[in-house]
Formats: sequence, C-alpha cells, structure tokens
Amino acid sequence: MTQAKAAVIRSDLDIVIARTLARDTAKALGFGAIDQARIATAVSELARNIFLYAGTGSITVREVERQSRKGIEIVCEDQGPGIPDIDLVMQDGYSTSRGMGMGLPGAKRLMDEFDIRSHEGEGTTIVCRKWRT
Amino acid sequence: MDSLRIPILKIGDVLIASIQVALHDASAVQFKDDLLQKIHDTKARGVIVDLTALDVVDSFIGRLIADIAAMAGLMGTRVVLTGLQPAVAITLVELGLELPRVLTALNLEKGLAMMQSLTEESGDDAS
Ligand SMILES: Nc1ncnc2c1ncn2[C@@H]1O[C@H](COP(=O)(O)OP(=O)(O)O)[C@@H](O)[C@H]1O
Ligand SMILES: [Mg+2]
Repeated sequence: MTQAKAAVIRSDLDIVIARTLARDTAKALGFGAIDQARIATAVSELARNIFLYAGTGSITVREVERQSRKGIEIVCEDQGPGIPDIDLVMQDGYSTSRGMGMGLPGAKRLMDEFDIRSHEGEGTTIVCRKWRT
Repeated sequence: MDSLRIPILKIGDVLIASIQVALHDASAVQFKDDLLQKIHDTKARGVIVDLTALDVVDSFIGRLIADIAAMAGLMGTRVVLTGLQPAVAITLVELGLELPRVLTALNLEKGLAMMQSLTEESGDDAS
C-alpha cells in the first residue's frame, strides 16, 4: 500500500495542487483515463468548496482495499461553518454563492461512494471512494 | 497575479486562444475578461478556444465557458470549443453540465473550418 498524501487548501492554487495529487495517485493505482478525470474533477469541486466556504482545510488521498478490490479514498476535512441541511446541498443546482450548485451532487455521481458529515459551527468531512474495475 | 495570462491571437476576424496550462480560478476569470475585452476591441466575428491541454473541466470552468459563449453571443460573436478530451467531455456530462449552447469541433483545424462556414452564412447581410 502506498502512503497517504495530503494537500492543504487555502488558495485557488491549492485546488489545482489537490486535483493533480488525486489524478497522479489514481494513475499510479491503475485507474484509466476516464476514471482519472472523474476523480480529479470530484476533488476539484470538493477542494473549491473548502476554499470558498471554509477558507482552509485539507484533502487526503490514499489507496484502499476491500475484499481484494483496490480503490482510491479521498478525505476532505475543514473546520468551517458546516452545512445545516445536507439533503438541501446535495440537490442539483442548490448554491448559497450563486455557483452552479453542481459540486456536491456532481462529485457524488463521479465517485462510487460518497459520505458527508457536517455539524454547524464545527466543520465538514467528506469521505469518497472509487473502486478500480 | 497576472503571471498566467493566456495569449489571444487574431487571425483575420477570428480570435484564437489555446489554453496550455492548468487553470486556477483567478487565471480563468482573467482569461474570460481578457477575451471579452478583445472581442469588443477587435469586433471579431468568431472565437476559437482550444482546450486540448485541459485535463479537468469542473463546474467552475464549465460555467465560465458557458458564460463566455453567452456573452460573446450577445456581441454577435460565435464561439467554438476545440480539442475537448473524451474523458473531459464524459466527466462534464456526468457532473451535470452539458454546455448545450456551445459549439464544439474535434481540433483546431476543424474548428477553423466550422468558424469559416458559420461566419460566411451569417456574415454577408451584416456588412
Ligand atoms: N465545505 C463546506 N462547508 C460549508 N458549506 C459548504 C461546503 N461545501 C458546500 N457547502 C454548501 O453547499 C452548497 C452547494 O455546494 P456545491 O454543490 O459545491 O455548489 P456551489 O459550490 O456551486 O454552490 C454551497 O453553496 C455551500 O452553501
Ligand atoms: Mg461547489
């Protein structure tokens, strides 16, 4: 197993760094070009959300294995304002920043597993995984 | 922070911009502003944006591209995107963005040919 690698998010440049890290890791794990693009795009969305809504946070990328299936796991953590209504923000088109509102629902579609936990005033943690086919 | 400006070339009455670097948000917004200003200044009939080197188009860049096409359209300028990688096109659709009003062509050469026929059919009555 390769070691986990983390990217700190505090500027829009870090969004590029995080998605490049995710793509490079996915490639090293044997994901094909389309999955690499899916994973990098999901990370781009989640990293931008950290930058926009929490200011700072981190994204950790690691290899995972379950029942001899290999995959990639992305953990996005911030100590920002949190999300009061998760069902609402998971709807296509919902945005509090006049964005497209596609980041969270889109990232969920692009990954195989998507788990979001958030508490108002404490921050948000999103864990998502994609399995190699 | 203007270290990453994307050059915009003018050939005849068509502007061509080729994005060769990973765009961070600020440079992408700068590009949109530069391009719209240049459309205004040159009265270009068409714009080709070549995305061959882009390996990620997320909702931020996707929206920016849609905005460029809509705003250029208001100025009477057609926008054609070229070189969208298959993986990027698939991801865009899965993400939920389909860019319905944006014209695309396989590569720069085909984009230029498309632009030629577009500006010919709409051009003559305007002048
Ligand atoms: N890390 C986060 N911390 C706090 N709020 C968030 C976070 N990520 C997303 N949100 C909230 O969820 C909404 C939807 O996010 P998203 O689907 O990415 O769309 P957009 O970013 O375009 O608004 C955001 O507008 C914001 O209110
Ligand atoms: Mg977002």
